[in-house]
Amino acid sequence: MESTTLARTGVISNLRALQAVISREWTIFMRYPSWIISLFIWPLIFPMAYLLTARAFSGPDNTGLLQFQAATGQSEYIGFIAIGTMIWMWQNVVLWNVGFALRNEQHRGTLESNWMAPTWRFAFLLGSSVPQLVSMLLMLGVSTLEYTLFFGVRFEGSLWLSLLVILFAIPPIYGLGFTFASLVITAREANAFVFLVRGVVMIFCGITYPIAVLPGWMQAIAAWLPQTYIIRAFRTAALSASSFDAIAPDLLMLALFGAFWLCLGYTIFKWMERRARQTGAIGQY
Amino acid sequence: MSDWAVVTENLVKKFPQRAQAAEKTEAKKKSFWPFGKKEPRPMFTAVDGVNLQIKRGEIFGLLGPNGAGKSTTIRMLCTLLEPTSGRAAVNGFDVVKQANEVRRSLGTVLAGERSIYWKLSGRENLTYFAALNHIPPAVAKKRVDDLIERMELKERADELVEKYSTGMRQRIAISRALLARPPILLLDEPTLGLDPQAARNLRELIVDLQKEGHTILLTTHYMEEADQLSDRIGIIDTGKIIALDTPEGLKQRIDQAEVIRLEVSGWDDKIGAQLRSVAGVDTLTPRKLEQDSQWEISLQTANSRAILPVVVEKVNHNGTRLLNMNIVRPTLEDVFINLTGKALRD
Ligand SMILES: Nc1ncnc2c1ncn2[C@@H]1O[C@H](COP(=O)(O)OP(=O)(O)OP(=O)(O)O)[C@@H](O)[C@H]1O
Ligand SMILES: [Mg+2]
Repeated sequence: MESTTLARTGVISNLRALQAVISREWTIFMRYPSWIISLFIWPLIFPMAYLLTARAFSGPDNTGLLQFQAATGQSEYIGFIAIGTMIWMWQNVVLWNVGFALRNEQHRGTLESNWMAPTWRFAFLLGSSVPQLVSMLLMLGVSTLEYTLFFGVRFEGSLWLSLLVILFAIPPIYGLGFTFASLVITAREANAFVFLVRGVVMIFCGITYPIAVLPGWMQAIAAWLPQTYIIRAFRTAALSASSFDAIAPDLLMLALFGAFWLCLGYTIFKWMERRARQTGAIGQY
Repeated sequence: MSDWAVVTENLVKKFPQRAQAAEKTEAKKKSFWPFGKKEPRPMFTAVDGVNLQIKRGEIFGLLGPNGAGKSTTIRMLCTLLEPTSGRAAVNGFDVVKQANEVRRSLGTVLAGERSIYWKLSGRENLTYFAALNHIPPAVAKKRVDDLIERMELKERADELVEKYSTGMRQRIAISRALLARPPILLLDEPTLGLDPQAARNLRELIVDLQKEGHTILLTTHYMEEADQLSDRIGIIDTGKIIALDTPEGLKQRIDQAEVIRLEVSGWDDKIGAQLRSVAGVDTLTPRKLEQDSQWEISLQTANSRAILPVVVEKVNHNGTRLLNMNIVRPTLEDVFINLTGKALRD
């Protein structure tokens, strides 16, 4: 018999496996045409209700806007709302897609055949979020274009600072997604938790209003949510000419949150992996 | 290198009892918080002290009815599950402490056809799993081509798996297990759901794989399959190995016995009770046949001649009619009945 196996295990082969997970996920993603809807249509439809409400409240002569301007220092209320909802959509999609990545594989029955391979298991979670991240970055780009073209939003800030904010937004948003993905494998009432988290983000992080309008205790909670900082920093960077110094404190907070959520996500993943081996949870569907 | 391909010592797996099952035993309070419920859940023993020693190069059949613990045993061997207690080693590596070495020594096909991606083609699936198995890309390409060729999937290799037949999917799943040329193969109910022709081809393939030097542990609840393929068979029931021998050895255990096989239309358990009480009848097992209201009744006895007249007389009663009757040599099915008092397939 050809007695040696063909496997050659090392760091490189683990990276190659990670890359294989990414391209697998990308191929499957492109085969479901529903991504077109999430990429082009959702960003237009979702903020519409808020925008129209805002327009109604601003009054025929826009006197309502003066107060808004006084509270936010921004005159571009459409852009203000658009950015809040964009970040909310991003987090929401990450919870559903990255958060359910392992759960869906479990339902399909492929999770076990993946986990039988001699590959670093976190690669399956990490790898399946990369195409998701790419599609979300595209979504952000497409949305920005659409808001400019159809709603006349003027993004007068700095492109580079905006990109910097997005870069710092990735670790906390995806760290939360990883944490979720691991909990969802062993917990049954997972959907309820997604609704809870996105509801919390919607209310506390000021996606359509400045946090200043919240009562004190709610502001205190908002201070613990990374999305609050992402939204604020993104608005500062994208809507008006601002310096790096204006967003630096928010970026620092995001770096801390990012480190925290990524570590938590990884720890919970390891915990789940072990627990699943003991209870048989990964094979159940 | 260890002498044994697979060894288990007092292997035990207990599961927290499933929610529905647990609810029957205790009134459970429903809480919104789904994580870390602290009250200890009742445990269910799926594998209960299994000892196996599988030789290099043999085909070992694990034969048992539904829920016997076959899949759970396989899952522990391929490191998807951790044993609750006991020990298992594959290719000389401990399944807990050397999980990665175990995974590199194994090719595993779990039951069901969902272990591959339906939205990818057969070739894409194999290329993907080759990378997961750390096969260098240049080697992988050739290996994937060879396997596709061998499994006679060349024409359809670039179609999506969702368009395949069950047999083709199973061949891709087996190719996936063969990718890295692992010395040991674990096949969990490999012919389940296949049509007879596909099942026959697959059994031939399994024999070929053994000739090429693979050690094969397969599970099945078809006794003909276990009989035909296996060098040795372990019969497993409710988590325990209740007999382990070559197929011939197993059948010899009840060699003195004969089996009277009755085909009847209409069956009344009262007749069963009466027949069981006839002196000389060791066991009696009714099994419903595909056709409406027809049953196959197996009677084990040491001496068929002595009891035949009584049996025939007692059967034709209360609308039960004897259709056919044979006196046969015991099969593995009868061995199982003899050991457990129940039929392998219900
Ligand atoms: N993850 C799990 N959690 C709880 N119970 C489980 C789990 N997996 C299996 N069981 C239970 O353990 C027992 C043995 O299951 P197993 O799948 O090993 O049986 P099997 O011999 O493979 O049977 P089958 O022919 O149905 O595949 C069954 O009663 C099953 O319900
Ligand atoms: Mg099974």
